[in-house]
Formats: sequence, C-alpha cells, structure tokens
Amino acid sequence: MSDTATLLTIVLMASATYLTRIGGYLVLRNRTLSPRAAAVMEAAPGCVLISVIAPNFVSDNPADLLALAITFLAATRLSMLPTVLIGIASAGLLRHLIG
Amino acid sequence: MSTTQTYLPQQAGERASPEFWRGIVSCTPVLLGIVPYALVLGAQAAEKGLSVVEVPLMTGLNFAGGSEFAAIQLWTSPPHILLIVAITFLVNSRHLLMGAALAPFLPQLPKRKALPALFFMCDESWALGLADSKKRASAGRYPAFSLPYYLGAALPFYLTWVVFTTLGAVFGPVLGNVEPYGFDMAFPAVFLVLLRGMWKGMARARPWIVSLAVAALTYLLIPGAWYVAAGALSGLVSAYILSGDT
Repeated sequence: MSDTATLLTIVLMASATYLTRIGGYLVLRNRTLSPRAAAVMEAAPGCVLISVIAPNFVSDNPADLLALAITFLAATRLSMLPTVLIGIASAGLLRHLIG
Repeated sequence: MSTTQTYLPQQAGERASPEFWRGIVSCTPVLLGIVPYALVLGAQAAEKGLSVVEVPLMTGLNFAGGSEFAAIQLWTSPPHILLIVAITFLVNSRHLLMGAALAPFLPQLPKRKALPALFFMCDESWALGLADSKKRASAGRYPAFSLPYYLGAALPFYLTWVVFTTLGAVFGPVLGNVEPYGFDMAFPAVFLVLLRGMWKGMARARPWIVSLAVAALTYLLIPGAWYVAAGALSGLVSAYILSGDT
C-alpha cells in the first residue's frame, strides 16, 4: 500500500522537475538573462547540495569528520565511483577503529 | 522497422537507426558510472520506507538523480511535501539554463517532439546532445540537433536509472542497516563530486560557502529540516549581492 502523501510528493517532485526541463526551452530560448539572474541560477544547485550535506560537516563523531575529510579530498581529484567507494570504506573503517 | 521510423523519422536523408545506435554507443561508458549510484539511492529510499513500487515511480517520473538523493536524505514519514518539492525544483533549476543552451539547435523540431524529448534531458544526455549538435553545426550538417542520436544517448540512461534504483530498493533491505559499514557516506561523496563538477573557481563558489555555514549553524541551533532552506536561501541572496561587485 502506497500512502497518499508519498505519491503526492513524488508527483509534485516530477512536475517541478519537468517544469525545469521545458522551462528553459520555452521561456529563455529567445531571451538573454541578466548577468545577475544568471549568476543566481548558476549558484543555486550548488547552494542546495552543500546545504543538504551541511550536517555532515558538523558531526560530533570524529570518525565521521575524518571520513568526510578523506571523501572531500577524493572528490577533488577522482570520479564518482572511486570517490563513493573511498567514502564508504573510510567511514566504515574509521567508525570501527575510533567511532 | 516501420514503427521505429514512425517515431524517429528520417532527417535530411539520414537514416534514424544508425543515428540512434551512435547515441547508444556514445553514452555506454558513462552508464557504468551511474549503476552504483542508482543502487545506493534505491537502498536508501527503501530504508526511509519507500516501497519497491514507489522507488521506480519516483526515479521514473522525476528522473533527476541529484534531486532524488536530496529528497531521500530529507525524507520523513510523512514527508514534508513542500520542502521536498521546493528542494527538487532548486536542485534541478540548472535544467532551465541547460534547456536554454540547447534551444538554439532545436528550431526545426516541432514542440510536440521537443517537449517529450526534453523529459529525458539529464546532465549526461544534455552534454552529449549539445556537444554533438555543436560538432554537426560546425561540420555544416542539417539539422544540427539529431533527435535519434539524442534519444539513443538518453534512453539507456533512463532505463539504467529506473532498473538499478529498483534493484537497490529490492536488495537494500536484505542487507539490513548499512550505517555501521559506512554506506551513508555515499551521499556526501556523491554530492561532493557533483559540486566539483559545478566548480568554476573560488569567486563563483562563495555563495556555496555562505550556504554551508548558514545551513550548518541552523542545523546545530534549530531542530527539524530548516537548515536546507536556510542554507539554500542565504546562498542565493549572497549570489545576488556578490554578482553586483564582480
């Protein structure tokens, strides 16, 4: 049994996403954005992503903080898959060792 | 063959199916990269209480990984509908710019084809489609945007994403609570790699640092999931202010 709130969330998420996919094509194709509007739009996804993971940066578990630092370093030079593997392995190991 | 050609009509003397295959071939290397990402998302979604039907419903209707990771991270039972939808919109707001960048290559494409095709626009299919259009435009090929190529590059992504998030939801619970093994670190890992991909120098990243600081403080001081909205909004305000002095 799916509950209504979950289904509603999924449908609204999908609608919001589809709007972003067609919005640029429909609205912006014959216009140029002001530099300010473009700067805000460009910054938006990064601002959201970093806000979502902000709690990881202020964790009270030293093992998690150390694992995050290692993962951060990995992310600056490696692609998705090795970074994810390093993140998982370092968090798993450090939690057993010091967590 | 005739059905294929109904959906993928010949363009300017080019046969559609080789173009479709060309798209499939070009996206294959990147497909492998999204499989573990999809499995992790499916497993985490199942842990948050989404069913084996709800997971493919989300990943199939929404089809935007970053926003799905954010939504699952913030998922509660029952979910904060407005928060999750707003965050989804903000994470995916980059699509607005991506669609605008692709639009100049689409004048020959009727809206009844362009609008469904844009449903499948993700970071990867957009990048492949745009790069191919630019290459064809400079080679004098018309139309520059090859719809069958784009669909060949986009549809395997869609199928892989939906199938492997579902498999993650099916097999995730079999593994039980994965936190002691460190699997939850996959979230920040994925997000950090996505951020690295958006990195355009320190000056442009200043709003992210504002977001991080405000979100972290809000998280520590105010209970609930307000930290995402507070962090995102303060970052956008600072992007607006900072763009005035550069």
